[in-house]
Amino acid sequence: MRPRLGGLGLGLVFGVVLAWSGMTSPQVVREALLFERSYLFLFFASAVLVASVGLALLRRLRARALLVDAPIGWRPERPARRHIIGSLLFGIGWGICDSCPGPIATQVGQGIAWGLFTLAGVLLGVYAFLRREQPETEPATDRLPARVPGLSYGSAVGAQP
Amino acid sequence: MLHPQLAWYVAGPLMGLCVVACRALFNGRLGITGGYSELVGRLRERRIGFDWRGWFLIGVLLGGGLFALASGGPDFHGYGWLTASLHGSERLLIAPILLLSGVLIGFGAKLAGGCTSGNGLSATAMRSPAGIAATATFFATAIAISFITRWLV
Repeated sequence: MRPRLGGLGLGLVFGVVLAWSGMTSPQVVREALLFERSYLFLFFASAVLVASVGLALLRRLRARALLVDAPIGWRPERPARRHIIGSLLFGIGWGICDSCPGPIATQVGQGIAWGLFTLAGVLLGVYAFLRREQPETEPATDRLPARVPGLSYGSAVGAQP
Repeated sequence: MLHPQLAWYVAGPLMGLCVVACRALFNGRLGITGGYSELVGRLRERRIGFDWRGWFLIGVLLGGGLFALASGGPDFHGYGWLTASLHGSERLLIAPILLLSGVLIGFGAKLAGGCTSGNGLSATAMRSPAGIAATATFFATAIAISFITRWLV
């Protein structure tokens, strides 16, 4: 129950900020992608900066997650072909409709009917992927593999499967 | 717009803190596509009941609704360049264009293991080389597509 409430609460904050920052509006996103306004890039860079500092501090604490039974830690992933091909397809879609999965949800939440078409498309695309293969590319909780002696890729975290 | 846009130096850091909170709560990578995936996966199995990712997506949707209620309506009208450059019967094209874009977005994000939030915000902040490569790719592609479509219409 608590993880689900936590997810809902986090989503509410994320959704309100996304809408308030104008990211829900295709016009705002397009102006950024055509380099007419710098807002999106400043917004994005400051988010990454704050997240990056916060995650580094969190990792140092070596604490356990608050709502699930797992130690806090993750391993950086090496780029593979799927990251590039997938992001190319994603970028084409994003460049045409100027909305990505989060803003599509906030559009529908705001009662913008156009968002329903994009939403239906995203659900179809995800469905097509899941039908084709089953790998979990976005797990709910990152699980670290048992520590391999001598392997230092990623930083030292108490690793438990 | 019915409301002033939240300053980037407030909105950006708030999004960053959401990424940190997601890690602290679930040891999870904040990402919207994970929510869609959870939703579609459970519906396929005809099971109701989602983990935090599904509820996160529901929260984002309701957050949009909450914002519209508080600010007295949606924050834009029409649909960007599509309604601005297509007129009359051409507008019938908008729905299939949006649907197709959505398919590319959904399938592409699943293949890449994340969208603008999962790869763009979270994996980049995790200093994951895969996330940084994905983010550079989709930004460059979307910028190129925007210039191409502007040149076309």
